[in-house]
Amino acid sequence: MLGIIQEQHPDRCRLFMQWKQMDWPVLVDSLNLLGLSVVPLTMLIDEEGIVRSTRARQSDLEAFLARPAPDSVEPGTPAVPSRKAMEAASSQGAEQLVELADWLVRWGSEPDLNAAVEAYRKALESISDDGRVHFRLGVALRKRYDSSLRRTDDFSKAVHHWGRALEIDPNQYIWRRRIQQYGPRLDKPYPFYDWVVTARREVEERGEKPWPLVVEPGGAEFAGRARDFQAAPEAVSEPDPRGRIRRDEGFVEIETIVVPERAAPGKAVRVHVVMRPNLQRKAHWNNEAEDLVFWLDPPPGWQADARRLSLPRPEELVSDEERRIEFELKAPDDFSGTAEVGGYALYYVCEDLDGACLFRRGDVSFVVKSAEKREGGR
Amino acid sequence: MRPMRTRRTDLLRFATTLLALSMGAAASETPRIEVGKPFPDIALPAMEDGRPRSVSEFRGQKLALHIWASW
Repeated sequence: MLGIIQEQHPDRCRLFMQWKQMDWPVLVDSLNLLGLSVVPLTMLIDEEGIVRSTRARQSDLEAFLARPAPDSVEPGTPAVPSRKAMEAASSQGAEQLVELADWLVRWGSEPDLNAAVEAYRKALESISDDGRVHFRLGVALRKRYDSSLRRTDDFSKAVHHWGRALEIDPNQYIWRRRIQQYGPRLDKPYPFYDWVVTARREVEERGEKPWPLVVEPGGAEFAGRARDFQAAPEAVSEPDPRGRIRRDEGFVEIETIVVPERAAPGKAVRVHVVMRPNLQRKAHWNNEAEDLVFWLDPPPGWQADARRLSLPRPEELVSDEERRIEFELKAPDDFSGTAEVGGYALYYVCEDLDGACLFRRGDVSFVVKSAEKREGGR
Repeated sequence: MRPMRTRRTDLLRFATTLLALSMGAAASETPRIEVGKPFPDIALPAMEDGRPRSVSEFRGQKLALHIWASW
């Protein structure tokens, strides 16, 4: 028995297997190198490595097990070319660049993600309509976003490339799942990682330590499918209607990621707002007073599932964690071009451990593009 | 005394469970992997320790290969 998983974050699968007490070996194919477009699948492979079924059923299994075994067959060993050979070959063309990037993502160390991203990008200069490369570049960008090498726009660029991949091959459901994982509830087939809470509790009840996760799932990854868009009531009071609260001057960096990158008319997008204290300025949250509040101003004709959100503060008096707010916007039925969305966060932030603590407003502005047309071609 | 189970019985029981899990898959799948052809010999990192492994290591055994995700 062997498993191959198709997830961005294999550690989550490891927690799942710990929870379900599954102990068979599992290989990780986050890049979708096998080129499959859907999971789950059970395949039957004979003693000589020949595929006997790609979508096995009970009757296939019984017949498969009854097949006579051939004479002795020697097991193979995984063949991994050297990095030097991959780098030397990469000057030959786009396909060799992709192979180098695939190698770096699988076998390189964390700093090699930079070279992998560059190799995929360089390959796309000559094969820009290759959905497979867009998807893998998205995987590498999201991996870098989850690493210590994070660049602020890595996640939004990952979403961009996953979107391009799907435009090129809309029938690739494994690629589609990568966007749906972070996307709006109307497009979700199911909640992706809502099982994590139960898994941890039950693992702990068995007296085990749950497998730690590199990135804590939440928000969109817990949200379930919705059949209708639930718009927020209009009668919600705005926390700073006259804009009198002082603006933040670089203590908190605010990033917005729109998933999917483009909204079709009448469709929804999910917006991830990520707020980080500027560690270069030794800024940190002050948690003594009130929760962080976020106010959203949707453009005319757009619906929002929330206008005013608040984020419970941690128990510690000060902290410097990343804070996330997510909400969904539904485009009007006649949406075309672009729409500018505004909002702001209100929070307490301190300048330094012994510095002044201030109540500040961090303005947020981002653009949602229409899915109708892409500038400069398809 | 509990009867001794054979490896074949174990494999059948285990794979049957996985087959049941696979039944919800969409019908539009057209894998590059084809019946009657060797499974692609691609080295992939092991989830446990990241070291290279491949399906070809299992030659000599009947293999039920489950391709899945925890979502």
